[in-house]
Amino acid sequence: MHHLKPLWRFNLGSMLFTLSLMSVNGCGTKTGSDLVDGESQQIDSVYVVTEEPADAIPVGIAKESVEGEQYLSLVGTIGGSAKPFVDGIAAFTIVDPKVPSCAGEEGCPTPWDYCCTQNQVKDNIATVKIVDSEGVPVASDARGLLGVKELSTVVVSGTVKRDDTGNLSIAATQVFVKPSK
Amino acid sequence: MLLPWEYGIRNLARRPVRTSLTLVAMTTVVVLILVVVGFVRGLERSLSVSGDREVVLVYSINSAENIENSSIAAQTPRLLTASLSGIWKRFGVPHVSPELYMGIRVGVVDSNRAADLHDRTNTEAVSESDALGLVRGVTSQAPLVRRDVRILSGDWPGPNEVMVGELAAAKLGLPANQIVVGNTLEFESQQWRISGTFSAGGSAYESEIWCNLPDIQSATKRQDLSLVAIRLPPGGSSAEAELFCKERIDLEIQAIRETQYYGGLQQHYGPVRHLAWMVVILVAAAGFFAGMNMMYGAVSGRVREIATLQAMGFRRIAIVVSLVQEGVLLAATASLIAGGIALLFFRGVAIRFTMGAFPLEIDGVAILIGSCVGLVLGALGAMPPAFKALRQSVAVGLKSI
Repeated sequence: MHHLKPLWRFNLGSMLFTLSLMSVNGCGTKTGSDLVDGESQQIDSVYVVTEEPADAIPVGIAKESVEGEQYLSLVGTIGGSAKPFVDGIAAFTIVDPKVPSCAGEEGCPTPWDYCCTQNQVKDNIATVKIVDSEGVPVASDARGLLGVKELSTVVVSGTVKRDDTGNLSIAATQVFVKPSK
Repeated sequence: MLLPWEYGIRNLARRPVRTSLTLVAMTTVVVLILVVVGFVRGLERSLSVSGDREVVLVYSINSAENIENSSIAAQTPRLLTASLSGIWKRFGVPHVSPELYMGIRVGVVDSNRAADLHDRTNTEAVSESDALGLVRGVTSQAPLVRRDVRILSGDWPGPNEVMVGELAAAKLGLPANQIVVGNTLEFESQQWRISGTFSAGGSAYESEIWCNLPDIQSATKRQDLSLVAIRLPPGGSSAEAELFCKERIDLEIQAIRETQYYGGLQQHYGPVRHLAWMVVILVAAAGFFAGMNMMYGAVSGRVREIATLQAMGFRRIAIVVSLVQEGVLLAATASLIAGGIALLFFRGVAIRFTMGAFPLEIDGVAILIGSCVGLVLGALGAMPPAFKALRQSVAVGLKSI
């Protein structure tokens, strides 16, 4: 038994250390959807800017006016489907802020899918992909990269493209995250 | 000092009728538990082995989680092949499988009368059965994506032919000998000769009927598809396909890994699994009380014997151990018999459910759970009556009749 005592102490120490690490790093960390309204996450990302671009236009107007490819700033709210973020790539969909999302009080578990106003979404939605200096989509989750979540309002700047079938997408290099109301 | 081991064994043989009845009751309980656990294990296995992590399903965003309701443009496979660089290719062939998947009424044509079919204009009268079957229209590229599929007999379907999964008969509620190569099925007002049978590693496809995509599109007068299945390279990411679907809003499609799709279905069937485990607990509880009742009866008729043992100097704990030994011996025998019955008569029995069919999975885990419950029933069921019998004084016990 005497031989076992130091091992036991070591194990107990390791367990306490591990538990303390878990409480500091694991359980207390909030990312993406875990953030509640009013909270902001400090993100040190080359893609996040602190000043809002002055000439941003809403998604709905861009969808009507953009032809071919243009460098623009778009403003929109992250959403449009139950799962607006793409796993493994910094990409998501945004909806024109004029389109109301489902009210949380109505009991909708995913108000960012715009299930109550689906018919308005099709003409007011754009796909955002964050690209690096070479135009390659960033292989990282947008929530962690930009500190955003569903229903965050963002202003994205980059090359906007509208294809023949009317789909609007932006290869963004800069993102401004509007503070929650 | 404990009672001799042989004492408990001899006691069981001394009351053959009572012992047999207790044995039958315990066997029934354990068989019931094995069947219910087999049901849960079969359902879980069917959904867990269905789906390949390197396969991405592209289907309609409006179909929620039900691919049967999905309808996407026929050009989708061509667009995906042209736009995605991450599709697995071998010898220049992209592993993309366009499919039309639907639940439709399927009839079986009597094989003796099938020969006359081509001469008839109205063939409705020859249909013997009319059950809901799952039909998947596929191309010859399907095996590139669905790698678990193995042809067991016959051939890949030709024009107006079908290949049926191992569990298709169970899904249709028909005897297996009716769904064999050479027989004829009837659906969408057409006859389809069975050209082959296939297995799919226990996955959901085994309850399906596969035919050529153009044939089923023609029969159903549909030009669209239900889904496109794409195989990714080993370790490939589905992000590119997901991004494509997000960008092509006009196509109204979504991409999801096949494992995620079936994972979602497993959550959907969560309440059924919970209910089945509740049934296991309730059956075990009923068995516990039935067993305890039998043991009460068995022990109450032996008050004099127990008092005599005490008078001879055996301690109470030794008598309790001997009674528990009898209960456990009986329970172990019941568990063995139940295990044999379950393996012989219930293992692999096909169960129909909405998504197809699955076999009862009387595996090691099911046998372990059934046997443990049986042994616990035997041990715990014997204790309360044993303690009750020992509470009586020796003098009163010796006088009892």
